Amino acid sequence: MIAPYLPMVVIDVLGSFTMVVLSLLCCYKAGILRETDRDNALFLYLVWISTGFMIFAVSRAFGHILMQFLILTSHTDTWQMIAAFSGSVNTVSFMLVSLITLFFNQSWKMNEKILRSRKKLEAAHAQLLSLNQNLEQKVVERTEMLTSSEHKARRIFEYSLDTILVTDAHFKIQEINNAGIVLTGYKKKQMLEQNMGLMDFIAHAPDWNCLLQQLNTNEYVLNEECDILNADNINIRVLISGGVDYGAFGCAKTFHFIIKDINEKKQMEQQIAQADKLAALGELSAGVAHEINNPLGIILGYTQLMLKQASEFEEDLKTIEKHVKNCKEVVSNLLSFSRKGSRKMENVDIHNMLNGVINFLRNHSDFRKVQIQLNLWENECLWVKGNAQELAQVVLNLMINACHAIQDNPAGFIELATQKENAHILIHVRDNGTGISKQHLPRIFDPFFTTKPVGQGTGLGLSVGYGIIRNHQGDILAANRNSPGAQFTIRLPLVNTNSNEE
Amino acid sequence: MKHFNCKVLTALAYLILALPGNLYALQFHSNSEGIITHQIGHLFFLFSMVVLMFIISGKGLAIHKGWRLIQVSAFFFILWNACAITVHFLDNQIYAVSVERLANGYARIRTQNNSSLLGWVYYGLKLDHLLCVPAMFLMYKGLCCLVDEQKAEKGQTL
Repeated sequence: MIAPYLPMVVIDVLGSFTMVVLSLLCCYKAGILRETDRDNALFLYLVWISTGFMIFAVSRAFGHILMQFLILTSHTDTWQMIAAFSGSVNTVSFMLVSLITLFFNQSWKMNEKILRSRKKLEAAHAQLLSLNQNLEQKVVERTEMLTSSEHKARRIFEYSLDTILVTDAHFKIQEINNAGIVLTGYKKKQMLEQNMGLMDFIAHAPDWNCLLQQLNTNEYVLNEECDILNADNINIRVLISGGVDYGAFGCAKTFHFIIKDINEKKQMEQQIAQADKLAALGELSAGVAHEINNPLGIILGYTQLMLKQASEFEEDLKTIEKHVKNCKEVVSNLLSFSRKGSRKMENVDIHNMLNGVINFLRNHSDFRKVQIQLNLWENECLWVKGNAQELAQVVLNLMINACHAIQDNPAGFIELATQKENAHILIHVRDNGTGISKQHLPRIFDPFFTTKPVGQGTGLGLSVGYGIIRNHQGDILAANRNSPGAQFTIRLPLVNTNSNEE
Repeated sequence: MKHFNCKVLTALAYLILALPGNLYALQFHSNSEGIITHQIGHLFFLFSMVVLMFIISGKGLAIHKGWRLIQVSAFFFILWNACAITVHFLDNQIYAVSVERLANGYARIRTQNNSSLLGWVYYGLKLDHLLCVPAMFLMYKGLCCLVDEQKAEKGQTL
């Protein structure tokens, strides 16, 4: 049969060329696909298969075009020689494509594994991210809690009214709060620079030894009472509690102390005890005075009756009368102390009363060598409800005591000062005498207590004064001054000035 | 040891050179072996394309347009391989057909028993590029679709 030859040639040549172009485009597209996800094994498979097709298409196209060229140019013999090689190459190329194609399943499995691993990795990453976020959140929360806790602790430390003290293992001060600075009277910088320790503040060595022993034995001390010596050399009564701290990591030994100032409380307790004691003594004195006063009156009466008649015992009777009168004065004083005496209460101008006392004393021989300073509250007149004579007696008594304390000191002075404190007036009597010894201070208002030689004082002056002031709803306090000398303070309630004017 | 090796080599050289004889170890290859190998290659190609088609279906990849086009491409390659095997069988194995180019742009196709039908079938089968070019084109389009899908997926992810 006869058939057109040209279509066969044209289709063969053009088809071969198109195959080459398309295979190259396939390679290009497969390359792009691979670039979109380099971990995808299927895309790698497509790259390989496209490459296989490209080799196949090029080798086949080369063979076919060469064949057509040689046949058309009447070189059929030459083609016969090359044909076997071309066919072999062509066989190898499409066998290569076949082999690559059969690797699809393995590629698929690899891809599955990669995808699973990627999912696991993504899950792990998400979990890690979540954990990280939680961790960050927790870190923020803990930091806030820590800051808050630190703030609270710092606030307690800074604003505590009790002294909080941190020392190293050798009791050298590391930290001290503001209350501690006020208590000790030293500046913090000074304490740290001078390497001061707790032992430097304890006034008495036995107290410190006791504290040390307890700390060594129990590693803590609880409410130990002792005296602290401040920067002004004044003893302050304190309660010390403290313990050992080994730090957050157990390797930094420090001591933490809380020191409570009980000085005022102690003084107040002493005053209350004193007041209770004096009240009891007053009751006792009143009872005794009442019982003695009546027999004394009878003795005095009969003695005076007998003196009206001339008698050989006149001198003896006068002696009896004199001593009975002395006894009656003592009894009267005891009654004054126990507030049982009768008196007239009226509004008293304190400054007027004090001026009267000073005028009287200036003429007294004992006061001529003493400098008396009168510092009165100048802002207004101060009135109290009471008995002017009794109050003058108390001040006079205090002034006389002060004069005795100064003795023959040429620089001796007595200061009489008044001061208004809310609804009370304070009357201070200060001197620069010998002061009051510590052991005498609690007994100074006791009846019959005196430091004077026998016969020079009855020991009733201050106790009577105490009774009078208490009877006026007031207080009387005795203390030693920082500088030598003593100070007595009378505290009396003021009356309303308006009502006085009325 | 070195001395021993020299002796062994000398003995072997003597045996090879001094005692020649007929050698039957190498197999003789006939001319038809080439075409059979080629045909086996085509069959292998065809088989691999069948496998590819089934795997694409089996793995559920046919839901993607790109893989579906690759699957169709494999089908065209199967047809092309079948076509090529038939042509090679007719003209290179059983020599049932031969082509003679004529000077006026025609060709004479000689067939056994002068079968016109076989001649035209052979003529049609010789135009095998009409199968392999579409196959390659479908492969290209399949890859294009996969690239587009992948880019779209990436775009959504981003």
